[in-house]
Amino acid sequence: MSKVPRDQIDDQRVKKKRISDDKFAYRTVIITSIFGIIFYAISLLFNIEILKFYVNGNVIFSIIDLLIKVAAPLLFFLFMMISIGNFKELKGKPLDWKELILLFILSVGQTLLDILVFSFTFIGLIIILAYFYLIQEI
Amino acid sequence: MSSYSIVFSNGATTEIKANFGEAPVIDGVIDDSTREWKDASKIQTNLTDLPVKLWVMQTNKDLFVSVQFDLLQGYHSSNEFLGLIISVNSSENQEDFYDAKFVQFLNISENIFSYLDYFVNNSVFINDTAYSGRGAGKVEGDSSVYEFSIPINQNITEGNEGDVFLEYGKDYAFNISYGEDPVYPQGIKKSDIFLISINSPKIHEIIPLDVVLNSLTVLVFSIIGIFCVYYVYKIFKLKSKIQRLRG
Repeated sequence: MSKVPRDQIDDQRVKKKRISDDKFAYRTVIITSIFGIIFYAISLLFNIEILKFYVNGNVIFSIIDLLIKVAAPLLFFLFMMISIGNFKELKGKPLDWKELILLFILSVGQTLLDILVFSFTFIGLIIILAYFYLIQEI
Repeated sequence: MSSYSIVFSNGATTEIKANFGEAPVIDGVIDDSTREWKDASKIQTNLTDLPVKLWVMQTNKDLFVSVQFDLLQGYHSSNEFLGLIISVNSSENQEDFYDAKFVQFLNISENIFSYLDYFVNNSVFINDTAYSGRGAGKVEGDSSVYEFSIPINQNITEGNEGDVFLEYGKDYAFNISYGEDPVYPQGIKKSDIFLISINSPKIHEIIPLDVVLNSLTVLVFSIIGIFCVYYVYKIFKLKSKIQRLRG
């Protein structure tokens, strides 16, 4: 029979679980921030038009070009929001509105050169924010 | 030689420099509520013996001229007109005035007018095939108001060969003529020549929108870049902090 008290075993279990949770959260911070940075790079290449997915007015290529330009800042916002959220959670603080608004401005600011891309990105960001706000309320 | 009363050289031309300002609406109305013509160069002068107010202003695209005068109601002719006959440069020789623009009233009591653009060839006024610029007039009580806009630095296209090409930074002689019968030049009753100076465009005042947007986009991407570097540094710092706490 074990001579270790029951309370001590429970404490060790809780501690192990917390370490495991922290490890998971930390890994999530790293992975999501890597994805965020990748989408930032894609957005930089396409929205500043260093790269262009556009061949002689071809409609399909134009749509793909538009999709990349819109999707990249949206995914940047999504991954960076998750990453910063987890990062702050590890530090024991919640993600507040100031950081969200700053992230929102930095995401939509990537699309200033094209009014169509800007409009779609703006709507997309509002939808993402509304979604996260609503699931929190539920 | 022509035998009408139009003045082509009196040796004492009044000079007026066009000020930059917001383009007025060419409708024969000086709208004080929108402070139309507020930046114009304004002089009080005479067309022969008719006292007139002459206002001149410009934008980067157009030259604007307004002439206003008062006549007792009974003295307004039902076919009153006001015209600008423009010289090819600052020369006041008759043959150099080859572009004429008129606001001609058809029925002054109902303020019905038409804008006419002529090419003047040896005192013969020939209707332009394509009109350039705009003109409008309005008579209210004793007062007549005439407004004109003439393009500056715009290329002469087909049909506009009879128009004077107004260039930035140059002076042009304008014969301003008032008349009572729609016959040119015989209907001209009073006229005088004014030298109008056109300024060079104000490039420095207008920052194109695309330059502003490009700069903002570069700024946003730079901020994100700096933020990412700082964030990665903070993540690694957090890792060592967590390890220290576990230890």
